[in-house]
Amino acid sequence: MEFVCLGVNHKTAPVEVRERFAVGTNQLGEAAQHLLEMAGVPEGVVVSTCNRTEFYFAADDTALALGRLECSLAEKVHGHEEPFYRYEKADAARHLCKVVSGLDSMLLGETEIFGQVKQAYQAAHAAGATGSILNRLFQKVFSIGKKVRTQTSIQEGSTSIGNVAVELAEKIFGHLKNSEVMVLGAGEMSRLTAQALVSRGAKSIIVANRTHERAIELAEEMGGRAVRFDNWLEELKKVDVIISSTGAPHTIIHRSEVESLRRARKFRPLFMIDIAVPRDIEHSVGEIEEVYLYDIDALEQLAEEAKIRRVNQIIECEKIIEAELLKIIPTKDFQ
Amino acid sequence: MDRWFLIAATLLAAVAGLRGLLILRHGNRSHWTVFWMIAVMACQMGYLAVRGEMRGACPLRSIAEISVFLSWSLTLFYLLVGPVYRISLLGVFTAPVVVIFQGFALLPGRLVANPEKVLNTSFWGETHSAMSVLAYGALALAAVAGVMFLVLDRQLKEHHLKGGLFRNLPPVPELLVSLERLLWLGMALLTVGVVAGVLMPLGKGAMGHLIAAIGVWVGYVILMVTKRVRGMTGRRFALGAVALFVLSLGVFAFV
Repeated sequence: MEFVCLGVNHKTAPVEVRERFAVGTNQLGEAAQHLLEMAGVPEGVVVSTCNRTEFYFAADDTALALGRLECSLAEKVHGHEEPFYRYEKADAARHLCKVVSGLDSMLLGETEIFGQVKQAYQAAHAAGATGSILNRLFQKVFSIGKKVRTQTSIQEGSTSIGNVAVELAEKIFGHLKNSEVMVLGAGEMSRLTAQALVSRGAKSIIVANRTHERAIELAEEMGGRAVRFDNWLEELKKVDVIISSTGAPHTIIHRSEVESLRRARKFRPLFMIDIAVPRDIEHSVGEIEEVYLYDIDALEQLAEEAKIRRVNQIIECEKIIEAELLKIIPTKDFQ
Repeated sequence: MDRWFLIAATLLAAVAGLRGLLILRHGNRSHWTVFWMIAVMACQMGYLAVRGEMRGACPLRSIAEISVFLSWSLTLFYLLVGPVYRISLLGVFTAPVVVIFQGFALLPGRLVANPEKVLNTSFWGETHSAMSVLAYGALALAAVAGVMFLVLDRQLKEHHLKGGLFRNLPPVPELLVSLERLLWLGMALLTVGVVAGVLMPLGKGAMGHLIAAIGVWVGYVILMVTKRVRGMTGRRFALGAVALFVLSLGVFAFV
């Protein structure tokens, strides 16, 4: 029996096609059983995330099984170019290894995919859709995925501005459960950055915006509270992180204002994120000892560097995958 | 024999530090530093046992002996604090300090081969010496944590966030909390040392030494009280801990 993969992902199909194949997390078992019927095969697993849906199965006659499956799926791609990719034998195993290692993800090295594939396998297993071939293969692939992630830097560093901000905040404050965050300006960028901090446990969010109603909206969305824009300086005494992205044409946070509150703050660290252009925070504020000031360029540069570091790790990851696959796949099948 | 124990301890500390640094250069953290430091500690204990036997008292009679005792105390506090609070890289930063102190003691002529036996020991005198050097072990480790904070602070301020050092250094609060705890511990031990110093029979030149010890103690009290009452930036607090430790070493080398 041979191992086969048929799939669509973000590289081969737009979202309007991918969504037709999407399977909910709690329907993965059912989908695996349906796959067995569609392809007429004894073992199958369906992996479905926002960026991909992939059908893995074991078949004696791979061409026949692939033909049946594609036939069953044909109506879903009606009106669009052929979106499928197909891998067989070692290529299919290699592809699955790349998927669980995050090498095939839109965000290179992302960690979520590992859990998603595991969940898909467990659902198929629970539904009785897997057998000795897929059980052995998936277990081996998970151990290869773990090896790739621990022995390389493929998942290190933050590749988005929000995650860079979180990483820095955690370095400055340890955990964020005691940290108060203030958002100045209710733009999309500050919302995303604040959300990233909240998702990592920030204690509270204070939103100040020139249009107070917008501040209230954003505060409600993030479970925080809104304050009048004129009162932001008063709040500065308490907060640990400031995210500023107002549309002001000039700086709104000045060194003298921050210095006047140092004593009241007992010289606690203050992490200031200025994602506004033109900048909201006077550059010299960063010279105050306990202030860590990062503007949009600094954050983007850090995210970019992390991306480059991850790209540089691809060859290392592929070497590990090849070496491990050689141990489980007969040499004649290995290309 | 004592010298061989000391050479082994110094070499092991050098290996711990170098290995930790090499692994750090590759972006990772050595999980074996603590075991190397346990081996360092074992050799230091061997040295202290042999040397103590030769002296017939706590081996704290020369600057070289004090320096070795200090590095033993530093290693002891590292082993107590590092693994418990999981302060990563503390061992990598501590090992070179141990090498420096012990390397100094190993310089030719520093550690006499056949030290004189101590005939008259006083309880307060021994307590003063032992407690003071133990205190300096804690204060030295506080200074090490202070240096680690200063490195991290500089990296954060200047946005130099690449590499294993930044990734593996503990977060700012962990460093500052351990720094403060070590300073309190060091100060408590130093207080006992200073009180014992006041109670011990003062020999020739001992008054100057005692005044210097009290001066150092007052320096640490000012640092801690200012931090507690008025508040202080992490940078000043760390700089204070490092400066006071270096100053106190200097004072005792010359007074």
